[in-house]
Amino acid sequence: MASPHRSGGDSMNDRSDVIGAVSGPGDNPNEFLFVTPEDQAVKTGEFITYTVTVEGESRDVFARVTNREQIRGLPDTFLADPAVAPETIAATLGVPHDDTDLYQLTAMVIGYYDTMMSTFANPRQLPQTGTPLRIAPAEQLEAVLPNLGVASTTADVAQFDGLAHTGWLLNRPAGEVDIRMPIDEFASTHLAILASTGSGKSYTGGVLIEEMMLPSSRAALLIFDPHGEYDTLSEMQTHSAFEGDDGYQPDVVYFDEDRLRIRISELELGDIMAILDNPSDRMQERLAGGWRAMQNKDSRTWGVDELVEQMYTMYGEDDSSVGGLEWRLRRSIQRNELFQPDANVPLDEIVAAGQCTVLNMETLDSRNQQLIATVLLRRIYRERLNAMRGRESDIECPVFALFEEGHRFAPGSGSAPSIGILRTITSEGRKFGFGIGIISQRPSKIDQDVLSQCGTQITMKIRNPTDQEAIKKSVEAAGEDVLRELPGLTPGQAVLSGDAMNTPALVQIRKRLTDHGAGSLSATEQWSETYDRQQSQPVRSEPADFGGGESTGFEEL
Amino acid sequence: MTIETQPEDTHVDNCLALGSIVSSNSHLDYTVEIYKETDRERAPQIDEREFGQPVFIQKSVSGEPYLVMGVIYNTQLVDPDQGRTGTRLAQSDQGQFTPGYIEERTTLAGVALLGTARVTEDGLLTDPSHELPRWTLEVDDIVCQCPDELTKTFHMNDEGDLQFAYADRILNVGGPLGSDVLLSIIGRLRSMIADTDKNQRVLDVVEQNITWQAHTDRGVIR
Repeated sequence: MASPHRSGGDSMNDRSDVIGAVSGPGDNPNEFLFVTPEDQAVKTGEFITYTVTVEGESRDVFARVTNREQIRGLPDTFLADPAVAPETIAATLGVPHDDTDLYQLTAMVIGYYDTMMSTFANPRQLPQTGTPLRIAPAEQLEAVLPNLGVASTTADVAQFDGLAHTGWLLNRPAGEVDIRMPIDEFASTHLAILASTGSGKSYTGGVLIEEMMLPSSRAALLIFDPHGEYDTLSEMQTHSAFEGDDGYQPDVVYFDEDRLRIRISELELGDIMAILDNPSDRMQERLAGGWRAMQNKDSRTWGVDELVEQMYTMYGEDDSSVGGLEWRLRRSIQRNELFQPDANVPLDEIVAAGQCTVLNMETLDSRNQQLIATVLLRRIYRERLNAMRGRESDIECPVFALFEEGHRFAPGSGSAPSIGILRTITSEGRKFGFGIGIISQRPSKIDQDVLSQCGTQITMKIRNPTDQEAIKKSVEAAGEDVLRELPGLTPGQAVLSGDAMNTPALVQIRKRLTDHGAGSLSATEQWSETYDRQQSQPVRSEPADFGGGESTGFEEL
Repeated sequence: MTIETQPEDTHVDNCLALGSIVSSNSHLDYTVEIYKETDRERAPQIDEREFGQPVFIQKSVSGEPYLVMGVIYNTQLVDPDQGRTGTRLAQSDQGQFTPGYIEERTTLAGVALLGTARVTEDGLLTDPSHELPRWTLEVDDIVCQCPDELTKTFHMNDEGDLQFAYADRILNVGGPLGSDVLLSIIGRLRSMIADTDKNQRVLDVVEQNITWQAHTDRGVIR
């Protein structure tokens, strides 16, 4: 290790917290190498700091450890017999083996926190050889890692409002460096939670929902839940943590499929075309004409009957294309309870500040789920547009809509009616206070336009190379070092990156306050239970047939 | 650690003298002239002064008896008559006409120092140290054969683990044969400890390492 006097004037300072010293520049312009002894167990992903003078001012520069290699240690040949510890061999041969291992670590410069720009600025100079390195202090990391716009690195961010306490830095003890993401940031520039099944994406979604429903935030949340996983959120209504001083308690509203209705007049021609069974060109032309005529009417409560009648009026009673259309419309729309001439989901019932609405779409097929989402998003977007332009609007406050199984609503391949409006909202919604959250286990199956517009990403364990590739392509903030971490994460661990963060960070997601409803089913447990139940039930048996002619064969006892 | 069994055999004063120091090549590397029948009543047999034989030299330091431990790492034959091609004046019953030379054929042994140990009042070995001996031996110091029990004690630490902490020095001093010296000591220790002793496996690994390194150095493995 370098001698203290090389570190430029701080040789008199206490070096007890120094974990290593810079040994030289790394492979790329922002990288440097440093050496630590064995007892300094600096992990990859750890944040370290060093002091450098930028324009006459002393700055604490942050860097992230990206790699760790042993440069001195016992030779592999000492491992020849698994039953004999290499240290024993070393002791026998008189080779020193206590605290002799040396590690060379690679660190990537993140920058110093520029209070003017309230983000990291790259000093564009690597530390000199011998510069002492320290573990970045917890309070500083809490202030500068998330994009909080703090004026000083010593700000006490725990006191700030509107932050989502997502978890804590993975490399530090639980709760040492709490990561609080600014809700405003991810709720306006959209959010993506990407993770393979079982790594905790719904759980993370739950944590964020809880944070957004706390008295300090009182969000207007809409959750598109195709699996009915969010039924435990109702606990928020009675949980003391969600109680506000003014008597606030979040409202959790469940909309089941029997309350999910689409007024036919809310559909667009494209939606109808997508539902209908392979209409011919002439049918499409006829339908377009009829549809336009219906939409020009004052009434918004017309149904298939009125539409068909309109088309017969326009094209004649014996038009075969209208006949075919009638059959198709009745089959696809009239017989589907989802579509009603007059009923609709009232927006003021599903969107309100301090209300979390869960649209439980478990029993709907995926086409109907997409249609519901399409129509609702379109309506909310329209209302938000009105609200922002000063016109009368049903929705006065910003809305955040969270999509579980996001790839169903914005698939990368194939058609989905919801994709157009999702693209519009993700690219324009920021201006109108309409944010989207996409939760998905298949990033490669999500429309790349939608995914790339999600400004904040919470990425959890992903092993599938196609999915990793999709993240790399569409997520700007996902650097190589972040992607490298993905396969090794365990459930509950996530990489936070994007607009809500000043730099990506590895985070352990915090425990939920409410129960988690979406765990895997325990198949073996259920099998045994079912078996026991079957065993205890009366069984069917066949009484002996004595030839009396009365036997009916199987008889229930 | 003191060995209690058969003290009469392992008493340092009763050990067989092998020869005496005649010169040194370095602080760690001494040349010993092996005793012949004319020097001693009980001259060492060929297998008692073989390659890899552990030896010791008794040394008193500040009145304290110490053993300087060593090992025979090399041997050399000296025949002053070799190359003399002059007229033979000797008779058939006389080996050579020049009487002073008759018994001058000698065997020299190179002894590399391994470490030091103290001697107990019972004449046993204790407190083995594998560090470089600081004291210099002198010409005519008597080099004795080190019995197996003492060799074993010298290679055991307090925890009962085997150690060869001198390995780096012996490989250096021993030159081309350094690894063979170590392997020879390992072989001796192996026979001194039980087959089930945990140290056998440690010896396996150490032996394997040294053999492999030797084969690599000598070009057998590349």
